[in-house]
Amino acid sequence: MLGNRESLSKNVHFIGVFDPKIRIFDIIMKTANGSSYNSYLVRGSEGVAIMDTVKKEFSSDFFVRLEALCKYEEIKYIVLHHLEPDHSGALIELMSKAPYAKLIISGRAVMMLKGLVKTDIAFEVASTGKTISLGDKTIEFLSTPFLHWPDTMSSYLHEEKILFSGDVFGSHYYDERLYDDEVGDFSYAFKYYYDHIMRPFKHYVLEALKLYAKFEINTIAPLHGPILRSNPQFYIDKYAKWSSEAKFRKHQFGKKMVSVFYMSSYDNTQKMAQKVMQGADKVEGVVASMYDLASLDEQNMIDLLEESDAIIVGSPTINGDAVKPAWDLLSCMAYLESSGKIGAAFGSYGWTGEAPEMLHDRMRWLKFRLPVKPLKIKLIPTEDELMDCVAFGQEVAEITMGKMVEMEI
Amino acid sequence: MVSVFLKNDNIKVKAGVGKTMRQIATASGASMEFGCRVGDCATCIAKIEFGMQLLNQKTEKEIKVLKMLGGDVSGLRLMCQSHIRCEEGEIVVSYIF
Repeated sequence: MLGNRESLSKNVHFIGVFDPKIRIFDIIMKTANGSSYNSYLVRGSEGVAIMDTVKKEFSSDFFVRLEALCKYEEIKYIVLHHLEPDHSGALIELMSKAPYAKLIISGRAVMMLKGLVKTDIAFEVASTGKTISLGDKTIEFLSTPFLHWPDTMSSYLHEEKILFSGDVFGSHYYDERLYDDEVGDFSYAFKYYYDHIMRPFKHYVLEALKLYAKFEINTIAPLHGPILRSNPQFYIDKYAKWSSEAKFRKHQFGKKMVSVFYMSSYDNTQKMAQKVMQGADKVEGVVASMYDLASLDEQNMIDLLEESDAIIVGSPTINGDAVKPAWDLLSCMAYLESSGKIGAAFGSYGWTGEAPEMLHDRMRWLKFRLPVKPLKIKLIPTEDELMDCVAFGQEVAEITMGKMVEMEI
Repeated sequence: MVSVFLKNDNIKVKAGVGKTMRQIATASGASMEFGCRVGDCATCIAKIEFGMQLLNQKTEKEIKVLKMLGGDVSGLRLMCQSHIRCEEGEIVVSYIF
């Protein structure tokens, strides 16, 4: 039982559900302390708004909480800040029960809604500045996309100074004591959530924080984990710091980082890597480095990838494929922002030499800029071919420093 | 040939009539983001800073999606729905991330 904990204030109530047993969320996230799917009910003088729903299999608990606080006929609005199924799972049932409810979603959520509910339902689109009224309560919407889906948005309840932040400021941390000043130590879960969910979208985090800064916030009501009421600014400052941390090397030297990651079976790709690095290092303003993937831990890969402005990956071709550590390296980009980074691929080969092209393609899907074609060399590189490697590295570095790429297609 | 300057990536591509902006982005290695590639998701929304008249008319699907986003969308296009329709000129594109 929540007791009176479910009330954030006289008119705002927690109607979310708890999932204490979940240990892996969204396939990739470890959730040692379980999680919660938060939903809130806002009551005004002229109706009720439901802020998000819950995962479908927990919907009976959600409806029990909701029914204890309002009649379905009173629901004027259902706001979905984020359409992922853990928040939209009870939507259809709720809409079928609430005859006068109007669904509010972001513009980018429109097509997702159709994909999720597989039926036509009426909705209204909200973006920054749009408000809805519940009589004596006003909710203002804020477009905060890509946190962590394109559709995400936030909203602010003016009279209570509550920010409904969507997944922003969330934690996978089950604790029925609900509030940050009453639950156990969830700091690891808050940081882990940021690292796995928000870190790839740092740029959008900072944009969202700019919007949030326009409001006085007494409470942050996220979609997972504790409700943050003790000192919301503390959490906002954490997000600001994590999203804007100066890169270590840039901080020290103000230079661009070009990193060459490679694996080599007979030293041929390694020889190429050395020349690629030499070429890159010739360019003013660049610090080039090279790393043997055979001995690089995943956390080091993530940090180096984040630091690097250009990422050049070298792999031999073995049985028609790039080697596993090269794929492992690129899979670490799931934790990072890749837009704007420059990528390139190279490698020595014996038979067919697909690896550089395959890595190049993979980087394209990861949204790298790929202005230079992959470079592959059959077996032992000649002196001329090693000079090609120098030129390859130099070209990547020059583009990293801002050289315009001109081409005809 | 039309010169297409992809501002975010500092890439200038010369391309002929009929080339799609998606082809241009892909061939040049630009970081422009694409989602559904059929005009539904609005991931590839971009601002045409110059040379809108050198592109095809907005498609019906594109008009519908842009309208949903609200606000002034007159200078915006979905890159997956746009192609070059003129022989000469200059287009400047910036992507909205």
